[in-house]
Amino acid sequence: MKLLIVEDDRSLSRSINDYLKMEGHICEAALTLNEAVQKADVNKYDCVILDIGLPDGNGLDLIREMKSKRLTGGILILSAKSSLDDKLIGLKIGADDYLTKPFHFAELSARINSIQRRNNYLGMNEITFNEIRINTEDNQVYVHDKLLILTKKEYDLLLFFIANRNRIITKESIVEHLWGDNVILTDSFDFVYTHVKNLRKKIVASEGRNYIKCIYGFGYKFIDS
Amino acid sequence: MKLLTKSTFYFLILYVLAMVAGAALLYLTIKKVIYKQIDNSLITEKTIIEDQIEQTDTIPDFEATFGHQIEVKLLNYPIRNIQSIKDTDIYDSKSDAFIPFRYIYSAGNTIQKKGFIITIFQILSEKNELLQDIGIYMLILFFSLLLISILINYLIARKLWRPFYNSVKIAGRFDIQSDKPLELPETDIKEFDQLNRVFDNMTRKMRDDYLNLKEFSENASHEIQTPLAVIRSKTDLLMQQRNLNKESLSLIKSINESTTKLFKLNQGLLLISKIENQVFHEKKIVSLKQITFNGLDSYKEIMQLKKITLEMDVHDEALVEMNDVLAEIMISNLLSNAVRFNIDGGFIKCHIDKMFFIMTNSGLPLTINPEDLFKRFHKSSNNPQSVGLGLSIVKEITESYGMHITYICRNAIHEIRLRYHIKENSPRSF
Repeated sequence: MKLLIVEDDRSLSRSINDYLKMEGHICEAALTLNEAVQKADVNKYDCVILDIGLPDGNGLDLIREMKSKRLTGGILILSAKSSLDDKLIGLKIGADDYLTKPFHFAELSARINSIQRRNNYLGMNEITFNEIRINTEDNQVYVHDKLLILTKKEYDLLLFFIANRNRIITKESIVEHLWGDNVILTDSFDFVYTHVKNLRKKIVASEGRNYIKCIYGFGYKFIDS
Repeated sequence: MKLLTKSTFYFLILYVLAMVAGAALLYLTIKKVIYKQIDNSLITEKTIIEDQIEQTDTIPDFEATFGHQIEVKLLNYPIRNIQSIKDTDIYDSKSDAFIPFRYIYSAGNTIQKKGFIITIFQILSEKNELLQDIGIYMLILFFSLLLISILINYLIARKLWRPFYNSVKIAGRFDIQSDKPLELPETDIKEFDQLNRVFDNMTRKMRDDYLNLKEFSENASHEIQTPLAVIRSKTDLLMQQRNLNKESLSLIKSINESTTKLFKLNQGLLLISKIENQVFHEKKIVSLKQITFNGLDSYKEIMQLKKITLEMDVHDEALVEMNDVLAEIMISNLLSNAVRFNIDGGFIKCHIDKMFFIMTNSGLPLTINPEDLFKRFHKSSNNPQSVGLGLSIVKEITESYGMHITYICRNAIHEIRLRYHIKENSPRSF
């Protein structure tokens, strides 16, 4: 995927760039609104990662600009302001999703993947990972073409793992992904463990391989080995 | 005491004092004038008698009138010249009372060296009556003057102070959040204009400070969150590196945890300052019951995991007029506490009625004073992960809506009791 990262903080922009490159995306960075508008005008991006508070203007203006020029591509808002208004306005004028700083890269990956799935054309709503096939249209999971019944949380967890395959995912980011960042519970780490255990059990029971590797005290890694 | 009452009161006291002094002075003056008049007529009469005695050597013939008595005594030998005028009381057998008299006693000698003594008495009661009458009229006059003066004084003061009361009323309605200036009316009194200017400047300064503070809170959050995002992004990148040993991973883990904690702290403090600054001023009718049920969904799994039993004892919708976001935060914080500080196999009981929202839960005995729980950064040592802002946020929210919250811990049973104001017959917004 070709991505445009609009973020005025050089260091953060660089990090996002590095991480998403590892995921195999092609990234370009814009540090100002002006630069972003110019780049979005010339190139076609699959997704724009957009900070709202930019030195030369409000990031929301880029969305308006893109929509008025009928430029395609998803938009993911990134903002330090947890203001509800910004979020609502952003989504209303055409942004696809919203992420509040600070975020986990695993979460960013998952969101970008999800935007990509939604904005792609018909027939692209299937994710295949070796013997696992996920239909994101009707939220069904198949292992060796056999239907796997998962709970909502297990399904979300599986998608999250696949979006971040071969990366270390912290338990913290899983909790935030599954329950939102308002529920921060130390005990919730235990029940991340329960969900992961159940998911693994179900996949193995359907003769799938065990991809989930536990990194002790830290989190998990979904490894395609 | 009101300014008007006070000024009238002082006026009254001073006026009465002045009146008493004035009346006394007037009384004495009139009395002196009357005495002088009596004395003069006594002297004149005496002189006439004296003249007659000297010229004719006879005693004039007197007509005796009531209250006027003349006694003349002729002697054959000379005596010492004396003249004195004095007051005396003479017993009157008819009225069985002493009657005041003024009398002149005069002793003299004729040219022939024969002495004579003249005593003339003049009754005073008529004159006293005159004095009394004058006194009464004077009192009436003084008193009516007093009443009129008080009234005038009151009316003038009221008119003079009107701009002041006006300003106070307008200043009392001052709302720091509204961007309208105070708009105090012009007066024709210099001092009040001065006061209004002071009011104006003060409120303008207050509003500026308030706006600065609000802006500062938002900016601070923005400025702090970006570096936090950078730290987290770097650790995220760092931990994806291959060949990390266990030690490095555990270092990254600590950094990560601290970053999260810092972020939560920042968020919590920001929320508290936002509540204090009344950023969440939009209100609607919310149902605490509904919010509780929605909130419980998030905790269902963890409650199952910890084998916590839930008992709902709901008697009312618990409609409260408040900001919906704050209502959710409040209930969510309470639920989160009840779950987080619970023990395995414990219980949560939630009672909702017309007056109270009561949440009871099992847990460990409290290691600190229950009152301190509502203070910022006071936390039980049982849970080092917690930031210690949850209940301060709840307290802040309840206070801003005039609700009352108490915390009791007895035998390791914790009870949060929230007393809220119910809006009766309010339309439901859900």
